[in-house]
Amino acid sequence: MDIRAILLVGGVAGEDALPPESIGGIPLAFMDVLGLPVIERVLRRLQRFGICATTVITDAPSTILPFTQRAEIDPRAPQLEVAGEELWDAAETTFRQYVSEGADLVIAMRLGPYVEVDYDEMIQHHLDKRCAISMAVDSQNATLELFVISPAGRFDARELFQSHLQRLRRECEPFPVKGYVNRLAQAADLRRLGLDGLLARNAMRPEAVEVKPGVFLGRGARIHRKARVVAPAFIGARGKVHAEALITRGSILEHHAEVDCGTVVENSTLLPFTRLGAGLDVMHSVVGFHRLAHLIRNTEVEITDAKLVDMVPISPVSRLAGSTAALFAFIPKQIYRGVRALSHRESSAADPECAEAGGSALNAPVLEAPASGVESSEFPSNLAVVRRYGDD
Amino acid sequence: METISRPVVVKRMPERMNLKQARKFWKEVQPFLNSDRPQVVFDMSLVRHIDAAGIDVLLQCMREAMKRDGDLKLAALSPQSAVVLELTRTGRLFEIYENSTAAVKSFSSFLPNALRQLEPQTSQGVVPMFTAQPVSSSDDGSGATLAA
Repeated sequence: MDIRAILLVGGVAGEDALPPESIGGIPLAFMDVLGLPVIERVLRRLQRFGICATTVITDAPSTILPFTQRAEIDPRAPQLEVAGEELWDAAETTFRQYVSEGADLVIAMRLGPYVEVDYDEMIQHHLDKRCAISMAVDSQNATLELFVISPAGRFDARELFQSHLQRLRRECEPFPVKGYVNRLAQAADLRRLGLDGLLARNAMRPEAVEVKPGVFLGRGARIHRKARVVAPAFIGARGKVHAEALITRGSILEHHAEVDCGTVVENSTLLPFTRLGAGLDVMHSVVGFHRLAHLIRNTEVEITDAKLVDMVPISPVSRLAGSTAALFAFIPKQIYRGVRALSHRESSAADPECAEAGGSALNAPVLEAPASGVESSEFPSNLAVVRRYGDD
Repeated sequence: METISRPVVVKRMPERMNLKQARKFWKEVQPFLNSDRPQVVFDMSLVRHIDAAGIDVLLQCMREAMKRDGDLKLAALSPQSAVVLELTRTGRLFEIYENSTAAVKSFSSFLPNALRQLEPQTSQGVVPMFTAQPVSSSDDGSGATLAA
């Protein structure tokens, strides 16, 4: 059976003011969760059910392409189409193209919600009910923007795409999804998706090695020996955790994220290429692209100060140049520090009084008794010190 | 014991507190902080963007106030400023109040939370121990208000 899929990213529809489903202009579907973009995980899942011919259509600007380049998982890679404002027209055209190429069924979904659906079950449901379109719904009978469309239902498909997946031409039997569902509407949902994956509440598995129970480390990730990582935690590929930093309460650092010295990351997610400054407290937040979304205060703040939140260069060449420059700056500084520490030690050793006093002070008794039975006329100075502080 | 109520200066912080604005703000508040035992409240309700320079000025103001045996309190934190204060671990250094009035009142009470505890009683008809009334205001754009 020839089953194909159309994945739509963006195109937030509805009359209500729905959340924009993005952070810093990047759609949440393109964001990494535990080492892989959400869209890549959806594509992998489709492939597992034998659905390989897929087209991804997005209305996001082409500037996000550096973040989507990692979404290539198969020689039969999904076709990525940046449709801009004509997202829905492009979806309809792709559907017609699939039908003309002889597809038996077309799955159309919007990301949007992340749904772990059993596609075999859903297709069987669609075939059993003999509908033109089947719609996946959650436990509250709300649409999950996931449809199976028969080639015969091309007018239904047209109506569906024209209404931005909000309206059906005919009534259909809904398919209730039993698997994991995440609406992925805002930063809090992205955080919950990652945490659920870390706690094995969904099918997402971290793309990393479990170095300790509950602690996952991506390829090339580095943790300073004085840093502390408390399970469950995920440090993505090439992530860096500097000295005295603390990563705790299910925090997730995506690839190339960096936490500077002394910073505490608690119950938070650091998006790819995010660098946190030194000595900060990041709690209940999703941080990235110069933005911080606080999940408890339910607010998103733009932070342009590089001392607080910065971006690691996306280009590998820029990163290499930055690392080389940092190394060249580090070596002379260390040499200077070493020379300074040495001269300081020499100066203290050269002071004979200091050395003598230090040596004798260790051997001397705390209170000196008089040498003979005759009491000294002079009050012992160390006793005076005891009287002053002991008040006795 | 005789108590003399001293003026409390309420200063509204600008919308952006970057390096340039922070310097300007520091110049504006310096005269208030240089007085004897200054009592200053910064109203942060307008602040939409604050960076490390802004935080630095806050700490500098706090240092100056403490040096002269005074105090600096923050009031009406905007969500943005609250997030940055938490991020930089500076929120815990200041007494923070929901609004400027509460912050001004707190200077009159012996313990910082004494009046907050009194508030429910006030609504039940108990006369408050101290009342803060605005004495004068300088509406020259600086947003500073004096209350005794």
